[in-house]
Amino acid sequence: MMATMRQETETDEQRAAEATPEASPASRLRTSRDEAWAKPVDRVSVTAAAERAPADTVQGRKLSGPLQGFGRMWQKTFRVPLYGATLSPREVIAIWKAEFPAFWPKSAKFYAPLAGIAPGEVALLELKPLPGAPIKLSTGVMVIYADDESFTFMTPEGHTLSAWITFSAFEENGVTVAQAQALERPSDPLDELAYMLGGSKMNDRFWEQTLANLATRLGAGGVPVETQRVCIDKRRQWRQVGNLRHSASIDTMKRTATAPIRAMRRAVKRASDRR
Amino acid sequence: MDADALTARVETGPDRATILIDGRIDRDGDAALAAAYAEVAAAGATAIRLDFTAVGYINSTGIALIVRLLTEARRDGRTVEAVGLSDHYREIFRITRLSDFMTILEEANA
Repeated sequence: MMATMRQETETDEQRAAEATPEASPASRLRTSRDEAWAKPVDRVSVTAAAERAPADTVQGRKLSGPLQGFGRMWQKTFRVPLYGATLSPREVIAIWKAEFPAFWPKSAKFYAPLAGIAPGEVALLELKPLPGAPIKLSTGVMVIYADDESFTFMTPEGHTLSAWITFSAFEENGVTVAQAQALERPSDPLDELAYMLGGSKMNDRFWEQTLANLATRLGAGGVPVETQRVCIDKRRQWRQVGNLRHSASIDTMKRTATAPIRAMRRAVKRASDRR
Repeated sequence: MDADALTARVETGPDRATILIDGRIDRDGDAALAAAYAEVAAAGATAIRLDFTAVGYINSTGIALIVRLLTEARRDGRTVEAVGLSDHYREIFRITRLSDFMTILEEANA
């Protein structure tokens, strides 16, 4: 399934760069760096048919970062030193981008865009909102930034977390380190409750497993993943309580509950079409 | 030392503190921005101006640092405004919705 953002706006700087065939090295560097960012859009647009995952909890939604969420804001850092691997940070990021869905735990699915992890692309996800939950939540993320050393996802309205998560690799003390760092708030009061009732720990285990899978793929299996959690803001943003109206959890529950009715309607229609 | 590395200098006035940011805002800028905010907090300023005039590049980790600074300022009851952003980064602040929570001014002397 291909899911791309409609890219409608071009900045003056980009237009100027395109209009100047012999740009200076400095301006070329600035342009290539600027191209790491997604082009501005007001709403997420999943342009192709969602064949493998429902896109209705993503389509037409605004992006929602940690400033727009409801619950406490956390910064979570998951990192693994790739001892024994001889890859540079750029090589690590190239593999991470190319094989991103393969590193996710089996309990969740990441439907990567055909164009890959690139600025402005939208990926759809299916994941459990709580440990043991009978339903899977359908939502997505937009690649807001991607360069050779890092890439960042931002969530749309309705995702359980209003978040900004950056995947990066860098060298530290002569060892390449792979890192995922999230700045996140549960999006609404229900999400905050779920987060407190095990959602946060499940989320931690999810990224720890992802990094462990990545390390194994890169030849550094068995190295423990280091986790750090810092509460940046203990307050809940009650002015954001209205985020409930976008809740993908509620939409998914509604869709699950009404599935038998829709199936019955389809069966009746098929029967009447045959007559 | 990296010539493009971030420095953040604080100028404190009667109404607000200005953080003059110079260089590239990325993961290496974490300590400098945190120290600048601590200085603003120690001075008791109720308003912060972030001056981006001398900033050449901001990557996504850099934006996350600004999100964190903005969160801390809001938590502590401080308003934040930004000046000196290029058109490109003004758009980035809009798409990342930082502009929902800070005033973005056109000119540094506004």
